[in-house]
Amino acid sequence: MSAPSFGGYGLQDTRDSVVVERVSKTFPKQFGYVTWLKHRGRPPRKTVISDISFRVAPGELLGLLGANGAGKSTTLRMLAGLVVPDCGSIIINGVDGREQPLTMRRHLGLCTSEERAFYFRLTARENLEYFGALAGLRGRELGRCILDVIELVDLGADIDTRFDYFSSGMRQRLAVARALLADPAVLLLDEPTRAVDPIHAQAIRTFVRDELVGRRGKTVILATNLLDEAWELCDRIAVLRAGALAAIGAPAELNRTIDTGRNYVIVVDRVDESLLERTRAVPGLLELRMTDEPGGVALRVALDAHPRTLTHLLQAVSANGISVASVRPRDPRPAEVFAEVIGAGVHAR
Amino acid sequence: MLAKIRATFVRDARLAFSYRLWFVTQILTVAASVTSLWFVSHIVPPSSSFGFHGEPTSYFNFAVINVAFLAFQATALSSFERSIRDSQVFGTLEATFATPTSVGLVVLGSAAWTFALTLVTSIAYLLFGMLFGMRLDHLNVLTCLVFLVLTITATAPLGIMSAAAVMALKQGAPVQFLLNTATSILAGVLFPISVLPVWLQYCSWLLPITHALNGIRAGVAGALPGDVAPDLWWLFLASLMLLPLSLWVFGGAVNRAKFDGTLAQY
Repeated sequence: MSAPSFGGYGLQDTRDSVVVERVSKTFPKQFGYVTWLKHRGRPPRKTVISDISFRVAPGELLGLLGANGAGKSTTLRMLAGLVVPDCGSIIINGVDGREQPLTMRRHLGLCTSEERAFYFRLTARENLEYFGALAGLRGRELGRCILDVIELVDLGADIDTRFDYFSSGMRQRLAVARALLADPAVLLLDEPTRAVDPIHAQAIRTFVRDELVGRRGKTVILATNLLDEAWELCDRIAVLRAGALAAIGAPAELNRTIDTGRNYVIVVDRVDESLLERTRAVPGLLELRMTDEPGGVALRVALDAHPRTLTHLLQAVSANGISVASVRPRDPRPAEVFAEVIGAGVHAR
Repeated sequence: MLAKIRATFVRDARLAFSYRLWFVTQILTVAASVTSLWFVSHIVPPSSSFGFHGEPTSYFNFAVINVAFLAFQATALSSFERSIRDSQVFGTLEATFATPTSVGLVVLGSAAWTFALTLVTSIAYLLFGMLFGMRLDHLNVLTCLVFLVLTITATAPLGIMSAAAVMALKQGAPVQFLLNTATSILAGVLFPISVLPVWLQYCSWLLPITHALNGIRAGVAGALPGDVAPDLWWLFLASLMLLPLSLWVFGGAVNRAKFDGTLAQY
């Protein structure tokens, strides 16, 4: 069964940068000579990706979410040509990865979360010189590109520092710089803010959203475990569950997968003790939180499914001269949406 | 293509120069090895079996040249496997294969520095040998160069196949152990193969290094490439058959690792 798609693959009238069509992947359960001989070169395999399809439009930022082991990194590695799919096709900027793997990689920049993926005893510049040369850059062009990307990730002052003296966050930023080095059209970012301090993490997010996608028109696929990051940055989010695509759509569309009918935000002009007492006494009130909001105080409530509970609550709140400014359904938190998608499943609307 | 090989060479050179003490220990090892051969040569009189075309030659000349150039076989056998293994352990293999660089280029580039270093080590052997009185008056550079190249091209495929085993099965193949063991007995490094039983001499003929050392020693004695044509042809044909085969096998191993998702596993 194909995954529910909110708004379809999106932007069908343009040529998609990334096309993943019915891709599946299995991995061997065991390795080694003995296993290999015992099973005559065909050891038993387990399914890690099951028949996934999606497209990413030029200049789109797609988030890839999923629990650990759901297949995010495997999907990125298949897109980068590091893992070969069992079946299906992957096309990057019109180039089929199976037919022209080297050409396809010219369109790609991969930033893995593997912070060891550099030569520890070389400086940042020396590392980038090596990987830049492998990407086809040379001479002055290579030098210029290195300076460009190193400034973009705010490592200009450390360009001649050996990699083993870099902190985890600096290593991650250098990985982002390497992915950008050859100015690829499509960027695959595997947890780019992992181990990065909050300030630089926000800088990387802003850089990805505003600079890479906004100004440079790059197509970005971002695998992350940070739900707020995905909701904040991505045009669309694909959620993987046990190797299958559980849902794909814009954050607002995914939000609708949660039944917000029982979650409300009630904005009142003031709060006093008696209001809280009356409110807590309403049968069917499951949760009550208060936050400040312009023009008053927001009561964030979760109610049971009884049709009169909201009416009773509003009666309780509006007594004693307190005026209700607004009542609106509460947006679900990303974590709630994610849990709903990977847990209970999603039904197409 | 050359730019990528050069970049890999420069990378490895930079990594090597970051361990400066290693060079000192390498030179000391060469000096110690030559010194011991010099002492051994005092109890072994010159013999025609050490020379080319029956000319009496000192044991010191014979052994230093053999040991110096045997290093090429060791490098050819181990450098590819070590390079792949290091890339897996350091975590750089995926980053390398994510670039638009062919498998063959990655393999060949990864060994360029090691071979250059081996050449320097071999020259160091000869220079130390000359300090102890070794004569290179008749050296034919062309013959030595031809056999040097053929030594690499004939033995490297075995190393590349060993690297393929590492890639596919995450364990080294026993090819290195078998060949190094066979070489120590059969290749005539520390003694001429003429002292071996005849049937072992036939086995010796199967080893690329036997022909390589024959050619190099002949070159040092002033022989032209044509004077050692059988050895030259043996190495040339072995290279012609094994080199493409080994690259094909390695490419298959990489594809297998990509299929199994184990490219970076070790």
